[in-house]
Amino acid sequence: MTHELTVRSRTGPAGPVIALAGELDHHTAPQVRALLPGLALRPGQQLVVDLARLTLCDSSGITVLIAARNLALAADATVVLTAVPDRVSRIIRTVGLEQVFHTHPTAQAAEAAWTPPSDSAPLLPPGR
Amino acid sequence: MMGKTDGGENNEGGPASEDHLDGQQAVFSALLEDSAEDLYEHAPCGYLSTLVDGRIAKINTTLLDWLGYGRDELVGRRTFSELLTVGGRLDHENHVAPLLRMQGGINGIALELKAADGSRLPVLVTSTVRTGSDGQPLLIRSTVLDARDRRAYETELLRAREESDRERERLKRLNETLQKTLLPPALANVPGLDVAAYYHIASSDEVGGDFYDLFPLAAGTWGFFLGDVCGKGAGAAALTSLARYTLRAAAVYDPDPAAVLTNLNTVLNHEYNGHDPRFCTVIFGLLAPEADEADEAGFRVTLASGGHPPALFMRADGRADYLPTPGGQLIGILPDAHITTTTIRLGPGDTLLLHTDGLTEAHSAQAGSRYGDEALLEFAGDLAPTTARDAVAAIRDLLDTFGAGVDDDTAVLALNVPRSTREEQK
Repeated sequence: MTHELTVRSRTGPAGPVIALAGELDHHTAPQVRALLPGLALRPGQQLVVDLARLTLCDSSGITVLIAARNLALAADATVVLTAVPDRVSRIIRTVGLEQVFHTHPTAQAAEAAWTPPSDSAPLLPPGR
Repeated sequence: MMGKTDGGENNEGGPASEDHLDGQQAVFSALLEDSAEDLYEHAPCGYLSTLVDGRIAKINTTLLDWLGYGRDELVGRRTFSELLTVGGRLDHENHVAPLLRMQGGINGIALELKAADGSRLPVLVTSTVRTGSDGQPLLIRSTVLDARDRRAYETELLRAREESDRERERLKRLNETLQKTLLPPALANVPGLDVAAYYHIASSDEVGGDFYDLFPLAAGTWGFFLGDVCGKGAGAAALTSLARYTLRAAAVYDPDPAAVLTNLNTVLNHEYNGHDPRFCTVIFGLLAPEADEADEAGFRVTLASGGHPPALFMRADGRADYLPTPGGQLIGILPDAHITTTTIRLGPGDTLLLHTDGLTEAHSAQAGSRYGDEALLEFAGDLAPTTARDAVAAIRDLLDTFGAGVDDDTAVLALNVPRSTREEQK
């Protein structure tokens, strides 16, 4: 059995977009985990993980999605999953993460839904 | 000017080049001695000519030195075959001699020669048959190459291969042993309850991360759990071990199933966070004996789920359902994981089956499809009413039909309240 995963990343208007194609499992998960720290993610940005062409995602794959979320949270950014295949969506529901990951039907929809942090809106609480 | 310059260069260059070549030839001649005889005698390989009957007619010094014989001990006295070890002689008679007769030559045949001092010399022999004008064979000319280095290399290869086979076997045993230490040697005996469990190892190359246990708690109650750690290998085994012991300890501290899983979550979340997150999904249950209104024996079962596939409830009346625990979140990732609980009464004839998703994620007969939750529910419906032992045996058979389609470890744990003799008499 082959364990093939292709990872494409680009920078969209809202932040980095990584598209995973193939099987995300015990064998291929380290490949994506290794790539995550290299993503330039600024506060207020949105990390898009596009799963449109993901054919398999096991428990190790779930850890990759969680690592992506941890990365985004650490950078004061957000993470969204797009085009989640039915099977993956069922696993996410089983492990109770459907409330944790926001999803959009496509990467374009996710980028359209993103609100850029306005420069005038201070990151610090008002009144300072 | 230009013409003169060119001519001058030619005149100067010509004689110098010829002198150089003459000098080289002189050096070569001195070195080579130009003697075919010397080349034959002291060639870097052995030369041997034998008559058609095998008697040695001519042999070079190199081969004599290798074997430690004098020329007159061999020429005209011994046959080539007599220089071979017993095994080599058999090879020679059975393979080499017929090939020589049929093809007029052999190329690089490995044989073993026996030296005068009894030591063995592995060699590679190439022979051609020289025929007379009438086409009849006259003699056989052979070159003999020293194959000691090559034999040593082959021996080393073989040794390395045996070593690698042994290591693989050792790793397999180590994995199996490690796997066993992650499972209870025996499940606690609960009066009034039949229990059966099964662990299916998908691959002996890597330790899987499924686990289960059933153990006594204070005051006639029992705890049980079944779970699945993400990933495989040593890292998963370490997490499995930590999860098991933490569950046992947490249940002693506070046996409320939601509290047990919350404590496990806190421990794992401290241990594994950030770049390489790890988690497990688990169902923890608490068993307390409880008679119903009709004084029928049974148990109250409180189940808490942390992101685990729901348990199957196969009832005495033949119905089968999943016991939903919606919203329960996986354990170890989120600082405040949400745990959901459900309570059932397990009465006579009822069976509770916990499983890991190696079963439902197995590739079924149709290419590209997974067995799935719906198929398992249907399977359970056909099975109910059942017993712990029968349910586990049926799952085991089901896994067997998937064969190599089960690519993840699978654990099942079944609890059943046997029908009372009173009920059977009805």
